[in-house]
Amino acid sequence: MVAVALHEGTTPTNVFTRHDIHGDTVLDCDAVIVGSGAGGAPMAAELAEAGFDVVVLEEGSYYQTRDFTADTSAMVRQLYRDGGATMALGNPPILFQEGRAVGGSTVINGGMSWRTPDDILARWRKEAGLDVTAQSLEPYFERVERRIHAAPNDESAVGKDNWLLKKGADAKGWHTVGNIRNQVHCVGSNRCPFGCPTGAKQSALVSYIPRALHFGARVYADVRVERLTFHGKRATGVIGRVTNTDGQSHRVVVRAKLVVSACGAIHTPALLTRSGVRSRSGQLGANLGLHPNVKVIAIFDEDVTSWKGVHQAFQVREFVDQGLGCFAAVNVPPSIVAMSLPQRGAQLGALMHRYNNMVVAGLLMEDSTTGHVRTIGGRPQAFYQLAERDIGMMQQGLVLLSELLFAAGAKRIILPFHHAKEILTADDARRFFEQPIPASQWEVVTVHMMGTAKMGTDRLRSVTDPFGFVHDVDRLLVSDASLFPTPCRVNPMETIMTLATRAAGHVIDNSRRYLS
Amino acid sequence: MSAYRHTPTARKVLRSLVPVICPPEAAALTDAIVDHMQLTFSTTPSVLRTALAAGFATYDLGALPRYFRRAHALSPDKAERYYESWVHGPTPVHKQFAQMLNQMMSLSCYEQPAMMDAIGFHVAPWIEESKKKRLTVFADDIKKQQARLLAPDPLRPARKKEVA
Repeated sequence: MVAVALHEGTTPTNVFTRHDIHGDTVLDCDAVIVGSGAGGAPMAAELAEAGFDVVVLEEGSYYQTRDFTADTSAMVRQLYRDGGATMALGNPPILFQEGRAVGGSTVINGGMSWRTPDDILARWRKEAGLDVTAQSLEPYFERVERRIHAAPNDESAVGKDNWLLKKGADAKGWHTVGNIRNQVHCVGSNRCPFGCPTGAKQSALVSYIPRALHFGARVYADVRVERLTFHGKRATGVIGRVTNTDGQSHRVVVRAKLVVSACGAIHTPALLTRSGVRSRSGQLGANLGLHPNVKVIAIFDEDVTSWKGVHQAFQVREFVDQGLGCFAAVNVPPSIVAMSLPQRGAQLGALMHRYNNMVVAGLLMEDSTTGHVRTIGGRPQAFYQLAERDIGMMQQGLVLLSELLFAAGAKRIILPFHHAKEILTADDARRFFEQPIPASQWEVVTVHMMGTAKMGTDRLRSVTDPFGFVHDVDRLLVSDASLFPTPCRVNPMETIMTLATRAAGHVIDNSRRYLS
Repeated sequence: MSAYRHTPTARKVLRSLVPVICPPEAAALTDAIVDHMQLTFSTTPSVLRTALAAGFATYDLGALPRYFRRAHALSPDKAERYYESWVHGPTPVHKQFAQMLNQMMSLSCYEQPAMMDAIGFHVAPWIEESKKKRLTVFADDIKKQQARLLAPDPLRPARKKEVA
């Protein structure tokens, strides 16, 4: 029988973990990449194939598909930074999640693979001076999609929750698209956020990382990078630390000709800041976009069993022009549903007995404001205050989403507020949202953090150049969602991978410069 | 991540809250739920854990003026009323602590296999069934993608690394 994923069952010889590092270690390479997710893994694979000696450092551990089990909270503890309890402070605080494992957040995302919309690229051209068009990026998009197998879902694997979402949208006459996901015959175990247990999702862990390893890259897991090193203005490597299985802590020093920070929009600005990098633009850590998400729980009479079926088979995109990125059905395990309900005791039990009748549906917003990441005691802390306009948009979005779900046959809907209200009809929803809902009442989450080291041509307004090289620092490249000048409105994974591939091409084209 | 263990006070408070927050059928799972919460807290940032310890102590002692007993020793109906007083508490901190307890305990409650089973969530067999189906029905396509992943396809075909 075919293996669920490459290298399954054996640790590749060039993957090193806390079990393999028994003393202070010094490594030399052409390129050191901090982070192994959507930005780091493609960069590693492309550079390694071009003959670069590549070292990837990842704070999280190295797992394989067989490690991804039905134990939701164990998966969260293993794969999520701080057990998923990371928060952007504001009113309301916004819970965000980051992956912390080889493969980064691609291990825990839903696998949505969308190209950067044309109008977003136009905005990046206008606001940041970037030379990016759908045409100029086409070869990179195409290359990424081939590598991660971005494709429509098999229709037979679509679950009832998603068919109900589509039914409601169709009844309203709203535009729906089938999701494009990085998967090879996803059969709908619906465990994307907890590590794909079937190997179908082509996360970086099972696509770009094996390719990078195949072409000679070395991956060091369990290594937390403390700071970058410099000689004058030139980045020369990193210093990290690993705690081995005996509880002993060892230094890992990597000396490199090129340093790549690919640890995401929260940790890249923190790593740069604690390494002494300053941006004349004042934008390092600023410009944080989040794509705020809110969700509702709809209860149907019929059995839905939403944990059987592919994750987010459809997106409703009728209201994109109004800043409502999409509506989607998102299965959530019972423990996390229970966690989000204000009920307790017997009431909680009664509601949870309807778990298999529930559809959890969410809306993703294009935010109109920005937050920032501040580095406090070496650790990043995000701050983000929802804009009044965006709260208004969320209210409007929830009315529309409720209309859709009632049109699909929902009998009642639980709204995303503390002491959550239940509504029984679409009219209830309209009436409820006639009054402004105080910001403090909202329960908002996100997994799309962007923009904290934005790229651009003007060094007084951006942190990096259009390829991601940090202005005024030699050989320090950023390769993650930090680079986005504005939120990208769609799921950001493919944009990150595409920009990483494009930047890798630039490095390869100029290897004489970067490897001397 | 460093090891986290509930303080004795935290454990006693949490045990007393299981009948308040969890459905009645979870009563037999009290220790398992409290142990699970310990695992969950072990992944949270240390600053949060410090706040938790202070919160449990405050919650426990806060019952004394009204009931002349610590919270963990209250009878079930008094425990219910005392918890409810925090839900609608005098300060946002009271409310947030009560809400956090509700959230974390509800999560741990429905992570118990017996609770998942009771609501018809049988995900482990479903994962096995899905995995088996994929590997048998789609074996050829899976092999092809795995072969493609390792096939040479240089980004810049004409160039290799040039070291000055």
